[in-house]
Amino acid sequence: MMDDLPRTTPTLQGRNLTRTFGEGEVKATALDGVSLELCPGQISLLMGPSGSGKSTLLAVLSGLLRPTSGQVVSLDEDLWKMSDRERERFRLRYCGFIFQGYNLFPALSARQQLEMVLRWGEGTHFREARRRSDEMLSLLGLGKKSHLRPAEMSGGEKQRVAIGRALIKEPMFCFADEPTAALDWAHGEQVVELLRTAAHERGSTILIVAHDHRVIPYADRLFYLEDGTLKDPELAESLPHATGSGRHSAYSRNDL
Amino acid sequence: MSYSLTTLWYDRQRFLPGVLAVSFSAVLIALQCGLLLGLFSVTSIPIDHTRAHIWLCPPSVLSVDVARPIPEWYLSRLASQPEVDQCEIYIQAFGQWVKPTGGAELCIVIGSRLEDNALGAVEELTPALRTALTEPGAVVIDDSELDRLSISGIGATGEINGHRVRVVGMVHGLKSIAGPYIFCSIETARAVLMSRMSPENYKATYILARCKNPADAPAVVARLRNQDIEAHRDRPTMAVFTASEFSLRSRLHWLFKTKAGIALGYAALLGLLVGAVVTSQTLYAATAAAVREYAVLQALGIPRWRMAMAVMSQSFWVGISGVIIAFPTVFCLAWVADLMGAKVLLPPELLAGSGAVTLVMAVLSGLAAMRSLRMVEPAILLR
Repeated sequence: MMDDLPRTTPTLQGRNLTRTFGEGEVKATALDGVSLELCPGQISLLMGPSGSGKSTLLAVLSGLLRPTSGQVVSLDEDLWKMSDRERERFRLRYCGFIFQGYNLFPALSARQQLEMVLRWGEGTHFREARRRSDEMLSLLGLGKKSHLRPAEMSGGEKQRVAIGRALIKEPMFCFADEPTAALDWAHGEQVVELLRTAAHERGSTILIVAHDHRVIPYADRLFYLEDGTLKDPELAESLPHATGSGRHSAYSRNDL
Repeated sequence: MSYSLTTLWYDRQRFLPGVLAVSFSAVLIALQCGLLLGLFSVTSIPIDHTRAHIWLCPPSVLSVDVARPIPEWYLSRLASQPEVDQCEIYIQAFGQWVKPTGGAELCIVIGSRLEDNALGAVEELTPALRTALTEPGAVVIDDSELDRLSISGIGATGEINGHRVRVVGMVHGLKSIAGPYIFCSIETARAVLMSRMSPENYKATYILARCKNPADAPAVVARLRNQDIEAHRDRPTMAVFTASEFSLRSRLHWLFKTKAGIALGYAALLGLLVGAVVTSQTLYAATAAAVREYAVLQALGIPRWRMAMAVMSQSFWVGISGVIIAFPTVFCLAWVADLMGAKVLLPPELLAGSGAVTLVMAVLSGLAAMRSLRMVEPAILLR
């Protein structure tokens, strides 16, 4: 399906998204009328200062957090009109997630972390799950370390296992929240390269939330969020290390 | 290996309290029930350690140790049954043992025939002991009862209901709950208990019978009951049981009529409750510790029921581990109890039942622990 979609047709659209927390005097607005589109085969980078609403936007777009108002249309389906169970099935079929902490089960090996997703999620047979897990770990450079537990791995290796867990289902979407924050840049660069491969070679729609400006050159599109609204991404690009080519300014292209 | 079992083994220190709690519950239940069975098996010693298949008793008898005298001629009721090969008189009644040091102790006097084929003589009475008991006033006691009777051993004398008796031998493993068993001949028993038995022709407590074919005993019992009902509809003149029926009746009487059974049952129930609380808390804590990992799975679309199954699977393995540890522990403690003189019976049904109850408790604890899965929300993973 990913191959069938033209790279310019958005797979995910957020329309006038608003999300507030609390009520009355303590009411805080995390998102204030945000609209954006994500396309397949592209890495979209969402940046902004702390507290700007980046993680909230990621959660809303990925079906983890209900917006106060607005619409999320993913593959022509209104995500927030679905029931909880339908949304869960949608995520199972189409979404992968990478979070800042690795959140790997301490007792399970790298192979078992990936197998679990296939066996519990898709009901894949044990042997097939093992084969696909070993294949993914080899792609991630962890072929000889598939038996290791998280305590026996470096931070970079753990995050690669987390990426493997996110991509083992070959999802259409991958949402990454600060995937390089806990890593040195050598390992962080590996992580971003893997995500770029997933986008450019497999056609996945990738959304990365990051503070790290060294990720900017890898992004195909850049969004800049401040105080719950999208601003001119040039604000992020004006910082050091922010060089890159072929990247589109999402703010100027979107008719928002 | 399943993921739950892998996690259980890897995190065994975390799960240890739960495993030990399950083990504690299983051991407590098995030991309490075993003690109960052992304790009340003592009450049916006169039945279980003799050769009789049928016991003819006073009407409405509740237990083998609380019976009134019956006429000796009831022998003919049993002797007339074609299946019966042998029948004889048996005497059992309470007496007062006057201690040489002063004071008295309730005792149970058991008088039986002493021949090799005697139905009422306990199997622990060897031919030598039975020969010694032919002496008038000779008695045999259990070696654990010396202190209760305040005597030194073989050769010591005592007094029962004002009649002098002499200890000519001892047996082992026949300790009683109510009062020490005093084994003697029919003649000695009648002499000691005669003043307490009336009228003149009521010279027996039970009539014992043995069938040519043991399988015929239930049919004989049923026939005698029907005959007594037909002849004396409103006032039964006797009660009749097979040996196994009477043994169970005696034990149940002590179990339900005394408070000992209720007290031990309560203790077993409390043990189960403690085990359930500790196990559920252990599983809750273990699940709560992995809430972020479960949240990632939920973000990836893994249904909640799958995670619930993982928690239940963990509780099952905690239960199995606890039961496996419990079995050798129970046998060790039962051996120690036996050394201290407390009999613990552990039939396979009891062990299987204790294990099953504890396993169910562990699995139900998993249900209680699943409330920790409510904390699983993928949004917590986002900064």
